[in-house]
Amino acid sequence: MKKLIVLILVIAISMLLSACANEPDTPVAVEPDPDAIAAGGTITVWSWDPAFNLRAMTEAAAIYQRINPAFELNNVEVPWEDIDMQITTFAVAGTLDLLPDIMLVQDQAFQLNVMNFPEVFLDLTDSGINFNDFATAKTSLSMVDGRNFGVPFDNGVTIMGLRTDIIGEAGLTVDDFTSITWGRFIELGHEVLAATGMPMVATTAGGADWIDYMSKSAGVSMFNPDGTPNIVGNAVLRQALEIYVELVRTGILIEVDSWDAYIGSFVNDVVAGTIAGCWILGSIQQNPAHEGLWAVTNIPRLDVPGGTNYSSWGGSSWAVTSNANAPLAIDFLKNTFAGSVELYDILLPAAGALATWIPAADSPVYQEEHPFFAGQRVAADIISFSANIPTFYFGVFHYEAISAIEVAVTNILGGSDIDAELQAAQEFVEFQMQG
Amino acid sequence: MRVILRVGMYVFLSIAAFLSIFPLFWTAVSATNSTPDILAASMLPGTHLIANFERLLELSDLGRAFWNSTRNAVILTAVSVTICSLAGYAFEVFHSKAKDRLMGILLLSMMIPFAAVMIPLFRLATSLNLNDTTLGFMLPTLSTAFLIMLFRQSTRSFPHEMIEAARIDGLNELSIFFRIYVPTMKSTYAAAITITFMAAWNVFLWPRLIMMSPEAVTMPMLISNLMAGYVTEFGVVMLAVLIATLPTIIIFLFLQRYFAEGLLGTIK
Repeated sequence: MKKLIVLILVIAISMLLSACANEPDTPVAVEPDPDAIAAGGTITVWSWDPAFNLRAMTEAAAIYQRINPAFELNNVEVPWEDIDMQITTFAVAGTLDLLPDIMLVQDQAFQLNVMNFPEVFLDLTDSGINFNDFATAKTSLSMVDGRNFGVPFDNGVTIMGLRTDIIGEAGLTVDDFTSITWGRFIELGHEVLAATGMPMVATTAGGADWIDYMSKSAGVSMFNPDGTPNIVGNAVLRQALEIYVELVRTGILIEVDSWDAYIGSFVNDVVAGTIAGCWILGSIQQNPAHEGLWAVTNIPRLDVPGGTNYSSWGGSSWAVTSNANAPLAIDFLKNTFAGSVELYDILLPAAGALATWIPAADSPVYQEEHPFFAGQRVAADIISFSANIPTFYFGVFHYEAISAIEVAVTNILGGSDIDAELQAAQEFVEFQMQG
Repeated sequence: MRVILRVGMYVFLSIAAFLSIFPLFWTAVSATNSTPDILAASMLPGTHLIANFERLLELSDLGRAFWNSTRNAVILTAVSVTICSLAGYAFEVFHSKAKDRLMGILLLSMMIPFAAVMIPLFRLATSLNLNDTTLGFMLPTLSTAFLIMLFRQSTRSFPHEMIEAARIDGLNELSIFFRIYVPTMKSTYAAAITITFMAAWNVFLWPRLIMMSPEAVTMPMLISNLMAGYVTEFGVVMLAVLIATLPTIIIFLFLQRYFAEGLLGTIK
């Protein structure tokens, strides 16, 4: 009986180990091949959100087919969580031949995936795509060891959306909130709270995203360039935590328990504004009664050396996989997302997709006034923000650091000492890195 | 005293019933409302049902997802219940010490989380070219230790004299199983069908791995896709959730008479 159990366990463990036995490979580099491009073929693309990313890909394919009629697009909807899971599964199981040609990857997970599974991604540095045409801060998010692995697409510039009617009740305008420090924001928040009884903003409980974008606005990561944690003694992180805790304790920021409740906070007049990536603009426009009442400006800055009013939250980039018809996939991206003003001109009004490709910002479409935002040139303003975002290094263990900071925020709000919590967070991340 | 107890019991049961029904009520009401109404926690039926339905058809291939889920769940339920009932019956009727030990090892498999075997299973399915196929979908749950145990435990209350009598009357073992055992164990089959259908209908992780083409999308995958956008249209999501819930409710309502009996292993 015992022998039988041992035999079964040995077989089970062997199966698991064999599944994990694939050694990480090195990234694959590629160069243009005119014959392969002319031969055409079908390119499979994975991305999420039919109204946004899939729509963008369809428009891009239509433009590229005019240059290369032999090109076909197989546009597949796959949520980001599943793309993330498939990258891991395919790499570990050694089934890279199941990968699509192109996939959209969240910026915050890009470096992590390239470092963990380099065999999945193509090195695009020498592919002919001009990465200098993108904002440096954006391309840096999909770079590893100075090499480019992603074609930037979805803009994740952090914005502050404000209800002009609500802040107006406190005698304030959008200019009062523009290019200010967090200290000034808290003063203004008190004024709005006193005049209207409304908090300024809401976020989902834990606040890790807030600490993250605040740190990015000063270009300071929770990791040193050598990969070691930079949590204890990180003045930027400490100030971000202090500000977040003060915002919550003063009631200027309210924590809600779900994403739905967060969206509901500004759709249903619970708060006077919101701070998030510019992808939140679509949700802001969900209540037609708010037309003309919103304005967009930059975020407050930390009072530290290198502190700016610009940051990023979310955003994504196109990756070409090692299973791709590489010459065709790269030529397609090069002539569309990295080379077509026409594409971005179509995408802005059609899907609200804001470019990170700098030449697109010169287009007249980006200068148009937005009726929902009382005629503000929202797209042009956001593009101007994106040029000022500091570059940022995520590190392989970014997710672990974020979850440690989330615990720290909760404990600090419960009365714990900030330094003790930062120490605990650093130890947690170091422990995870050992695993 | 008895009256107070009775009143207390009714109050308790009413609260429990309300808590059980509320999520379904909330889903149904939200399916008729617009996103701002839902975010404002409206509890009253709205006028956006048709608009939400049209938008759902626009954003997703609802018919294909519903068909895929129905086909996968029905075939898996039929195959799995057949295999597991045969196994459970055999473990009890052709009983031996060695088979008891084997059953013990089988039960141990219930303690291994799916995530631990997911990648080896995926490699196996891929090497057999089962991606995007119903067989690939069914592979991990064709036979489950829980269902085998359910049938084995229920078979304990099955009168073995009937099997002996049937053998004397000249029935072979397969005929005994299909002509005597299956009709007698209706309630166990009802419980097994309900449990298996619900699990097969709601399964998400494995299909997400193995069903990669848009043509193979299932209802849980469709709902996940709707939630993945930058702007979530909650009315549309709630309508999709409501539609995805209906088949499991219908199956349960049809079989509920037998469900509790089946789980308890009683035979009438």
